[in-house]
Amino acid sequence: MLDMTKIRKVFRTDMVETCALDEFSLTVDQGEFVTITGPSGCGKTTFLNIAGLLETHTSGQYLLDGVDVSQLRDYARAKLRNQKIGFIFQSFNLMPDLNLFDNIDVPLRYRGMKSAERKERVDKALDSVGLFARRKHVPAQLSGGQQQRVAIARALVGEPLFLLADEPTGNLDSNTAKGVMALLEEINANGTTIIMVTHDQSLAEQSKRNIHILDGRISNESTRELEEAATAA
Amino acid sequence: MFFYYLRLSALSYRRNPILSSLMVLAIAIGVGAYMVIFTLNYVMGGNPIPQKSAQLFHVQIDSGNPNTQDDPPTQLTYLDATALTQDGSAFRQTATSKFGEILEPIDDEVRPFSVVGRGTSADFFPMFNVPFLHGTPWDESADRNLQQVIVITKELNERLYGGDDSTGKTLRLGGYNFQIAGVLDDWAPVPKFYDVNNNAFEGGEEVFIPWNLITSLAFSRYGNTNCWKAPEEGIDGFLNSECVWIQYWVELRDSNEEADYLQFLNNYAAQQKEFGRLPREMNNALFDVEEWLSEQEVLPDETKILSALAAMLLAVCLLNTIGLLLSKFLGKSGEIGVRQALGAHKGSLFLQHIIEAGFIGLLGGLLGLVVAAAGLEGIKIILGEDLMRTDWIQLNPTVVAITLLLAVFATIAAGFYPIWRACNINPAIHLKTQ
Repeated sequence: MLDMTKIRKVFRTDMVETCALDEFSLTVDQGEFVTITGPSGCGKTTFLNIAGLLETHTSGQYLLDGVDVSQLRDYARAKLRNQKIGFIFQSFNLMPDLNLFDNIDVPLRYRGMKSAERKERVDKALDSVGLFARRKHVPAQLSGGQQQRVAIARALVGEPLFLLADEPTGNLDSNTAKGVMALLEEINANGTTIIMVTHDQSLAEQSKRNIHILDGRISNESTRELEEAATAA
Repeated sequence: MFFYYLRLSALSYRRNPILSSLMVLAIAIGVGAYMVIFTLNYVMGGNPIPQKSAQLFHVQIDSGNPNTQDDPPTQLTYLDATALTQDGSAFRQTATSKFGEILEPIDDEVRPFSVVGRGTSADFFPMFNVPFLHGTPWDESADRNLQQVIVITKELNERLYGGDDSTGKTLRLGGYNFQIAGVLDDWAPVPKFYDVNNNAFEGGEEVFIPWNLITSLAFSRYGNTNCWKAPEEGIDGFLNSECVWIQYWVELRDSNEEADYLQFLNNYAAQQKEFGRLPREMNNALFDVEEWLSEQEVLPDETKILSALAAMLLAVCLLNTIGLLLSKFLGKSGEIGVRQALGAHKGSLFLQHIIEAGFIGLLGGLLGLVVAAAGLEGIKIILGEDLMRTDWIQLNPTVVAITLLLAVFATIAAGFYPIWRACNINPAIHLKTQ
């Protein structure tokens, strides 16, 4: 589903050349819940941006659902993003002027979906995060946890192939964070692939698979099954 | 998506009301000022009789001074005007000039007052599509027989008869009785193409009488009289002189008639040369209405300077708008990044912001109409009713439409660079930092 081979990303300025990802190879299959960890500046977010087609890579190959994205132009990348990827951000990134319904409606509008179908999908997404009754509220009227639930509903409404979450609990208190994580696990249990960047080691340990990045390379990869086997031995 | 983007534009306005209002104000001032000058130019330089301006021709016979190189006279001598009228070879023709006299109402309660009139012929009214409220023009026999008939304007009829049908009633003008043949409906061509002497934008005449009566009744002639040779004594001396004071118009229905009439003019001039008149080289001409207004430079040079100044002010306002739009759209980088993450491609973002710029432009245009209306009122006050008629200085549907279109398209044009910048941000940076 997501297949990166020897991805390299170099940021250049007049003075400095920085290699954010180097020989980065990763395959994520349908239904996985992968956490990405690593110290600040190691390349986690760069990986997420390249995976989400928000940035292009310098070299290497990236196949998204079998499509080589290297040569795609803006329109095709936007279409792929819209149909196959859902984003969840640390700071929620809801549009402050739009009510919850309209916020969640945005990706469906870019898909050119008819009004009736959009309404049905948005109502269902709002219901799934328990905020249907507040669909006419604007984000500022919600708590942080509720806003993140709206962001999750927006990411899910288009029924994407996978969710990319960048520190989704980073701005939440621990209780709210637990609730959001429980929701993400439920979504994953229903078959949606999730790739989540986090600083929180405890969250990483909960996931089935954790990728640790250091200096733009994968330094360590562990799965819960392997760890449990190692502990048992 | 158009209405969705329009709604987003309204929400965006609400989010930054001060910045957005500044843009609207800048556009309103620029467009409003430009439209004030545009309106003046549009009306002053417009075609006052578009239905048949190509069939109406001002007649020029060069009876000027042979010792100078100045332009041919713009009017005809009495001799020439009379000769052309007697020939009558055009489909319609009229010799016409302005006069002023005292009007003595029959009603004792209204005191005598002076009126400006026009001596002309029966053809004047159908030639220039002059509308009648009551009665009809006089007929050609009245011209020939010097009948004392008169046509008055609607305003004068209101003043004298309270708007009732006054045809058949008698008016006393310059000490003579005139029978009212007709009352005009509203008619005030701008510019007053049939007589551009002195001021093509002054008020029209209040009464119309057969042209020959001006001389036979010795009415006071108004307008320009130019003589390159001193006339002999007395009225007959003046009428037989080379003084020009009569405007002469013909209606010619097609190019054949036009060619024939020009040939007739040349033949006439050649004949006059044989009699020792028209000493200059033959330089007869026919000008249709638009050619005549252009030839006479009816549009003052000042309007061109004002147009340039207004265009510069508009440019300055649009430059300000570019800066404000840049600030506004770059301030939306976070939202643009989110929309890109959710599937918007650059084309759709560009369209969204073009519509937002157009929305601001439309608001600027609406406010610009208020500015333009206020500006035109100011122009009226400055010009004053004494100098010229000012009732035509107003916004009309064409000007309103042009104002709105100018505002929308100018703002969109001003928005191209800010929109291009905003749509080419790196979304990844703004998603992390929003």
